[in-house]
Amino acid sequence: MVPEGATGTDPDRAAAGHLPADPGAGAETGSGRPDQTARHRVRIIDATLACLARHGTVKTTVDDIARQAGVSRATVYRVFPGGRDEMLAAVVDTEMARLFSALGVRLGEAVDLTEALVGGIVEASTRIRGHQALAYLVEHEPEMVLGHLAFDESDRLLTTASLFAAPFLARWMSPMEAGRVAEWATRIVLSYAIAPSTHMDLTDPARATHLVETFVLPGIGALHDSECTATIDITPFESPGHTDQTDPTPQADHTDHTDHTDHTDQGAMS
Amino acid sequence: MDDTRQRILEATYACVARWGLAKTTVEDAAREANVSRATVYRNFPGGRDELLEAVVAWATLEFFARLYERVQGAESLEEVMERGIMFAHRSIVEHEVLQRVMQTEPEKLLPALTVESNRVRRGIAEFLVPFLEQRGVAAGVDLKEAADFLARMVLSYMSAPGRWDLDDPVQVAQLVRSELLAGVVSGAGPGGPGGPEARGSAR
Repeated sequence: MVPEGATGTDPDRAAAGHLPADPGAGAETGSGRPDQTARHRVRIIDATLACLARHGTVKTTVDDIARQAGVSRATVYRVFPGGRDEMLAAVVDTEMARLFSALGVRLGEAVDLTEALVGGIVEASTRIRGHQALAYLVEHEPEMVLGHLAFDESDRLLTTASLFAAPFLARWMSPMEAGRVAEWATRIVLSYAIAPSTHMDLTDPARATHLVETFVLPGIGALHDSECTATIDITPFESPGHTDQTDPTPQADHTDHTDHTDHTDQGAMS
Repeated sequence: MDDTRQRILEATYACVARWGLAKTTVEDAAREANVSRATVYRNFPGGRDELLEAVVAWATLEFFARLYERVQGAESLEEVMERGIMFAHRSIVEHEVLQRVMQTEPEKLLPALTVESNRVRRGIAEFLVPFLEQRGVAAGVDLKEAADFLARMVLSYMSAPGRWDLDDPVQVAQLVRSELLAGVVSGAGPGGPGGPEARGSAR
């Protein structure tokens, strides 16, 4: 059942910093409790992130992660019965959830549209750039990341992010316009994250403000203007192939695309 | 590009179309091009890796050469962008080789395509500069910055249309006049001199 994987004990890796021992780790017999499982889950996720930032996916084993987390292999497999693959998927989901949580705070506390756009763009750009595991993967295993940024997968990422951000923006515009603008802002973040520009560092609030005021706000005005004069169906697209633009039920089919979406990177592609 | 190199690239492309990136070898390309392996290596000293990178670059260049042709004769910046986006979208959707390789071996194609996309972005930006100069950018807008921004956005919509139906000329006209040009050129925004005209042609 349990995949053994490589049980390598690379001294370099053994010497790398570990998290302090989990006080709950010794009493693993009772670790079925939800709060403890949640705590272990977070420890294991963070340990996996630390391992990925040093060695990437190929060279990271379950043993490495358990050691880094200060828990036993048994605990790792109790929390993630699917082992390494399940953990990697969980890391993506968790990092996405963390990014969205932070974005939600920034978007929610904004008092006007400019602040929401600038805050969201800076927050997302900063987190993407500072993500060490992501940076390692972009550098050494780009194929792990790029697949999520191109064509249909990129469409999924745009959908997920814009469905999340749109309700925050709908305080200042119609829900339809908010969907468009949220998607647009996501495109902007992704473009400058994938191929950083020395002239347009979107982790810098001043530059992000400049971009928003110069390009985005006039565009929002024009969007509003054309919405008022044209009847255009802008319901969210149905599938990544967007073959059905007339689906009348917005936002119903997109929750299943919420995984694998934080594989934005910070610029090994330039 | 000299003839032999061109012939080898076309032959390699034919092999990739047939068998995919992973299964295409220098030998296949040589046979298809009717040249010796030594000739392939003379043109592509890095062998198979260099050949496959070169064929992605070549196919990208072909794509943009057709795109360039398609926007010739456009009378305004708006028309250039509308034609370009619609053509690029159609071409990508209908590009059998690209779609097949993306389905079966994206991990092989994407790194090369990503390198290309940086070159392409600069190419699009340079292409747009004269149109922007002629049209005149809005007050306070830096020409180069605007061209780079537009190129990034065009690439983004090309590869992922999101909520936009890029086969619909009305939507594309709306996209070009809002998210792309509204802040960049004078008169594209709401209420500006280009506003009513823009809406008229978008109908």
